[in-house]
Amino acid sequence: MTATFLHSFQSEWLKTKRSLAFWMVVVGGFFTPAIIIIARLVNYQKLPEIYSAERFWDLLWKNSWESMAVFFLPLGAILSTSLIAQIEYKNNTWKQLHTMPLSYTTIFFSKMSVILVLMLLFFLLFNVGIYLSAMVPYLLVSGTPYPAEPMPYAFFLQENLLYFVDTLPIIALQYLISLRSKNFLVPVGLGFVFWVGALGALSWRFGYLIPYTYPMFNYLKDAEKTKAVIPEVNIHMLAMVYFIVITAVSYVLYLTKKEKG
Amino acid sequence: MYILETRELFHSFSNDEAVLKGIDLCVEQGSIYGFLGPNGAGKTTTLRLVLGLLKKQRGSISVFGREFEDDRVNALRKIGSLIESPSIYTHLTAVENLLLLQRIYQCSKQRINEVLELVGLANTGKKKAGEFSLGMKQRLSIAIAMLNSPELLILDEPTNGLDPNGIIEIRELLQRLNREDGITIVISSHLLSEIDKLVSHIGIIHKGTMMFQGTLDGLKEKQQQSLSVVFETGDPAMTRTVMERNQLHGDYQNGRCVLPALDREQIAELNRQLVAAGVNVFEVGVVKNDLERIFMDLING
Repeated sequence: MTATFLHSFQSEWLKTKRSLAFWMVVVGGFFTPAIIIIARLVNYQKLPEIYSAERFWDLLWKNSWESMAVFFLPLGAILSTSLIAQIEYKNNTWKQLHTMPLSYTTIFFSKMSVILVLMLLFFLLFNVGIYLSAMVPYLLVSGTPYPAEPMPYAFFLQENLLYFVDTLPIIALQYLISLRSKNFLVPVGLGFVFWVGALGALSWRFGYLIPYTYPMFNYLKDAEKTKAVIPEVNIHMLAMVYFIVITAVSYVLYLTKKEKG
Repeated sequence: MYILETRELFHSFSNDEAVLKGIDLCVEQGSIYGFLGPNGAGKTTTLRLVLGLLKKQRGSISVFGREFEDDRVNALRKIGSLIESPSIYTHLTAVENLLLLQRIYQCSKQRINEVLELVGLANTGKKKAGEFSLGMKQRLSIAIAMLNSPELLILDEPTNGLDPNGIIEIRELLQRLNREDGITIVISSHLLSEIDKLVSHIGIIHKGTMMFQGTLDGLKEKQQQSLSVVFETGDPAMTRTVMERNQLHGDYQNGRCVLPALDREQIAELNRQLVAAGVNVFEVGVVKNDLERIFMDLING
């Protein structure tokens, strides 16, 4: 079973080669850091002050996640999940996949695993990007001091993990919708509507019930000034519960689908 | 033992009329089974059910002597299939398309080159499958179906999009696979002329009902039975009188009398009697119904 799952995962991973989803992950991972690098190089006069700051890494982390948590991460999860599932619809290959000697469970979870690994890759590249956005201006602009504060690895790792967990319900729901819809616009359109809804619900006291809000809340939790109502419940736990429940529903719906290609 | 057998297979989509009305498909091991029927007859639905692509509603499906539902994964390990239009990843090359299946089948990588050679796509290099012609895509689909060296090959209209040369090549390839490797092949088509040179057995389906199933020879016997003799004369009324005197009941249309198959002596005797009765006989002929005609007769009831 493990070997079969591994083979199925390898096969699914090969399908992402040259795919739009893969390129989105690569470009999306480096986009915000690239903007930060450009902004810092343009305003190079301020670099000595920025690099000498006590909370250099903390500020860089916050700057980097500002657009990522609210915009790129949820939308990236919506798009990449939909694109991965849509590879089969677009190429008319569900029938081929379902005539492979694989159990439906293996097919469902290996495809989902590819999406999760792509998201992990996205996080990895984004973190590499953050590091580069610190190092490139330092290396290119003479007179820029090396950051005084040591890099807070443990904090970065913990925050990465929380953001990843917060993205899981988005992935699960988008996966469910994408598996059931032949039309690519349906999962993307619904995802966009949920994302806009999540933005609107940030200031609602029950906004945390909308699973697309969690990466945003995780970013806003330490904000000094925000109109968002930061939930008092553990949103990360809630994200895990949503993820498990939605995945279970998605799996049952997939298994009981009458037409499989 | 039948390598593939269905019993009383029924299927309907939503609340519409049944698409399949009790299909008993019997495919003998080592045969090339032509599954024939006009568009919309139920061929693809039957094959999709056989492969588990549609949820079975009524009836039973057994493959390799076991219920398909109980042994789906093991059965699929020994089946290669192509259902309707090509099923390929257009952003990948031919080799990459096969490579991702090779990971699942765990066959040798050498096998990828072998099947590409077989279908004449060995030199497509870095060209993506999306840039292939329809014929090339169809060939790649056939290569995919053969990658796992299947014991049973199920091909739904595999020559769609192929030019005449391509059709001949695929036909020869399938004959070779059947002869040399003993692969049982189920091939569907809506054109009898396309597969009558290939198949050993035939099943004819129309409006969800099996109209004929048996060997090609069995079908040809039907052809023999359906020969007819035509007399074209100048006096249809007298012709009818002469025929009825000989207890022959024919169809009379446009001065032509069409009779069931007769032997040569009978034809000569009837001609003599017509001439003796003063009837001008313009033409006497034997109409040989080809398989296409039998097919049409069968599906038209």
